[in-house]
Amino acid sequence: MAEGLLELRGVAKRFGGFQALAGVDLAVAAGEIVGLIGPNGSGKTTLINIASGVLAADAGDIRLAGRSLLHLPAHRRAALGLNRTFQVPRPFPTLTVRQNLEVAVPGAAAGRDPAALLDAVELAPFAGRRAGELTSVQQKLLDLARALATGPRVLLVDELATGLTPAELARVATRLRALAAEGLGLIVVEHLMAFIDRITDRVVVMNAGQVLFRGTLREAAKDRQVVDVFLGAPEPAA
Amino acid sequence: MLAYALATGIVFGLYFALVGIGMNLVFGVMRIVNLAHGDFIMLGAFSAFWLLAVLHLPPPAAIVLGFVAFFLAGLPVYYALVPRLARAREPEMLSLILFFGLSQTIEALAAMLFGNSERSIPGRLLGRGPVHLLGQTMPRAWVYAAAVSLAMLGLVWLYLHRTRLGRQTRAIMAARQEAVAIGIDIHRISAIAFGIGAGLAAVAGVFAPFMLGSFTPALGIPLDLTSFAVIVIGALGNPLGTVLGGVIFGVTLMLMRAYLSSFADLLPDLVLILVLLVRPAGLLGRQVRRA
Amino acid sequence: MWRDLGLVVLPLLAVLAVLPAVYDNGALLLNFVVFLVLAQGLNLTYGFSGYLPFGYVGFFGAGAYGFAMSVTLAGAPPLLGVLAGGGASLLVGLLLTPLLRLQGAYFGLASLAAAEALLHLIGNPNLQPVTGGPYGVKLQAGYAPLLTYALALAILALTMLLVAWLRHARFGLRLLAARDDALAAAMAGIDIVRGRLVIWLASALAAGLIGAVFAWRTATFFPDAVFDLNFSIFAIVFTLFGGAGTLAGPVFGVLLLYGLYNAIGLSAPQYFQLAYGVLIMLLALFFPEGLAGIARRIADG
Repeated sequence: MAEGLLELRGVAKRFGGFQALAGVDLAVAAGEIVGLIGPNGSGKTTLINIASGVLAADAGDIRLAGRSLLHLPAHRRAALGLNRTFQVPRPFPTLTVRQNLEVAVPGAAAGRDPAALLDAVELAPFAGRRAGELTSVQQKLLDLARALATGPRVLLVDELATGLTPAELARVATRLRALAAEGLGLIVVEHLMAFIDRITDRVVVMNAGQVLFRGTLREAAKDRQVVDVFLGAPEPAA
Repeated sequence: MLAYALATGIVFGLYFALVGIGMNLVFGVMRIVNLAHGDFIMLGAFSAFWLLAVLHLPPPAAIVLGFVAFFLAGLPVYYALVPRLARAREPEMLSLILFFGLSQTIEALAAMLFGNSERSIPGRLLGRGPVHLLGQTMPRAWVYAAAVSLAMLGLVWLYLHRTRLGRQTRAIMAARQEAVAIGIDIHRISAIAFGIGAGLAAVAGVFAPFMLGSFTPALGIPLDLTSFAVIVIGALGNPLGTVLGGVIFGVTLMLMRAYLSSFADLLPDLVLILVLLVRPAGLLGRQVRRA
Repeated sequence: MWRDLGLVVLPLLAVLAVLPAVYDNGALLLNFVVFLVLAQGLNLTYGFSGYLPFGYVGFFGAGAYGFAMSVTLAGAPPLLGVLAGGGASLLVGLLLTPLLRLQGAYFGLASLAAAEALLHLIGNPNLQPVTGGPYGVKLQAGYAPLLTYALALAILALTMLLVAWLRHARFGLRLLAARDDALAAAMAGIDIVRGRLVIWLASALAAGLIGAVFAWRTATFFPDAVFDLNFSIFAIVFTLFGGAGTLAGPVFGVLLLYGLYNAIGLSAPQYFQLAYGVLIMLLALFFPEGLAGIARRIADG
């Protein structure tokens, strides 16, 4: 595996008696889009939570451009250029849409201009509205714009596509590809395979807290284990 | 002196568990810190004054009457205040403010009705003569209070574990969303829990004059802090943890009184702060800090 | 920002500055300013970081005693004593910073417990040589009604400037974001811990400074008087009534409610307690954003 911009090594996490992650390695290089897929409960969001500093890892390391983030709080990780969106969007509901972006603290790589970002996610007409009044799809886009406003080098995108119309999906896909073209590394968690297929260079398939498969989506679709995990193991022949 | 402090500490501890358990039950079910809990206890103390010292009812009658009356009064209070809160944007903060307002209202009404002068009830109303317990001699009223406390705590346990309503109550405490999903009537169960909380406060109030000395309408806030300290030590939302919290609190208080009496007043406050900071989930409990 | 200053801060200060010339109850005027500072100080922490300290009076009392002890024990001149009072409240605020790790109700009650503990400590008979214990404080700092009033106005001006600045500066906006959603704020790169600490200490300082001025003016007081829970309650009610997080809200709260309180008279405190208790409940149930929320609803149609 090539030297990654973001590297997770041997990340483990246990919730009580439940082993959510059992030593996961994952890396993304600058300009690359990695799809992170797997059934519900396989540990994808837990991995993002640990990488972004929402949860503490039990074991393993998280490195951004060679620097360990393991003991840094979330806002420091954001400042160094690691950011994420949330599966259930988390805007600041009492702030206006524009303010939602203005509060973002530009990190080491300079932040992006709020007005341009609002244009990019097509929220400019709502700039003066309270973010709590937006639809959940709009809130997802606002989440994305806010993460970008910190000027990340790596962005973790957690189920952005759910709920978007095909037209919106196409625009978001174009947008994410453009970000990668600018040198951003992206890890995209998604259930929608068409979306994954459209934007990712390679995928990592997780199951039960472990990496099951690494490669392209096409290869994954032919992998017996992966198919079993997604469709359930076939009945043994009678 | 040490043996005496330990023995009376346990006796008072059981009583403090009774003081705290109603607040803990309400918190466990509704996730609301009922700051009017101490005022319910204060009103219970005034009821005891009227029932025992003025009407000369026998103590068991006062206990039953107090519980039933406060239980029934608690139901409409619940329906008037809580369901509306659940729809607010910040229910936890608003509930704190709301019940703080209720606390102030009750205290003011009590002051207008009963006056601000200190009252007390002679301990002999609960029986004459000292009692020998745990190798020590102590006032009969203390032992009476501890025995009733133990009985009430046992009844709470029976309610929660041996009745249909109680099991539904525990289901709500453990997993609110799931309880709704399987068709449990949250408001009915919560209203009953709120009523029981008020009833338990009334019983604690009946013994307050004997355990805490004199009482005034201003007793509410200090009792809130004591209750909160007791249930935080045990575990918020875990009614039986309250017994552990009460006993630890009682024993510590009696040890302070024996060896550091002039600083004993500081105890509830310091215990509360220390437990919140060092072990915020209580000795038996779950997470309360911010993410 | 300039609009806030021109419409709220300057007119209020101007009126308060000329009032002593036409109204001779100086003690009452000072009390108004005291409550304006306390309401705005509480507004800082509750309005901008969401922490509601029921024990806010602890800072006021710490300021009063910081003043009293520096004047009586160290022989400090009163002006230095006021700074010592502010220092004392800052110290208490620093000691209590671990409380900021706690959530809403836990924080509120823990801060109340802290204020009560401070009262019990200062009023302890064993500490009589240092604090005066339960017998309180008798100060000979010199009766200076105009100077103390001017100082109180200066503290009010600073506190309100801070609120006005927060309402427009990015720092204030970031605090509001953290109040809305702490986790999302962290992801937006906001250092929540530092922001909350700064606002908490500023809030403590405001109460401490005004507590010191109050002590100077009052000269003789018992510990119960400066740690009276009613200071917290009033500050909370005035702020909630007007609207937390706004600049004019707490001002209206103090002027209307404290004005009413004094207009009707002080003979029966329980009537006000009843009125405030009911008012708090109504606010929590129907108008959680106070007068400011009502005004916004009208403005929005």
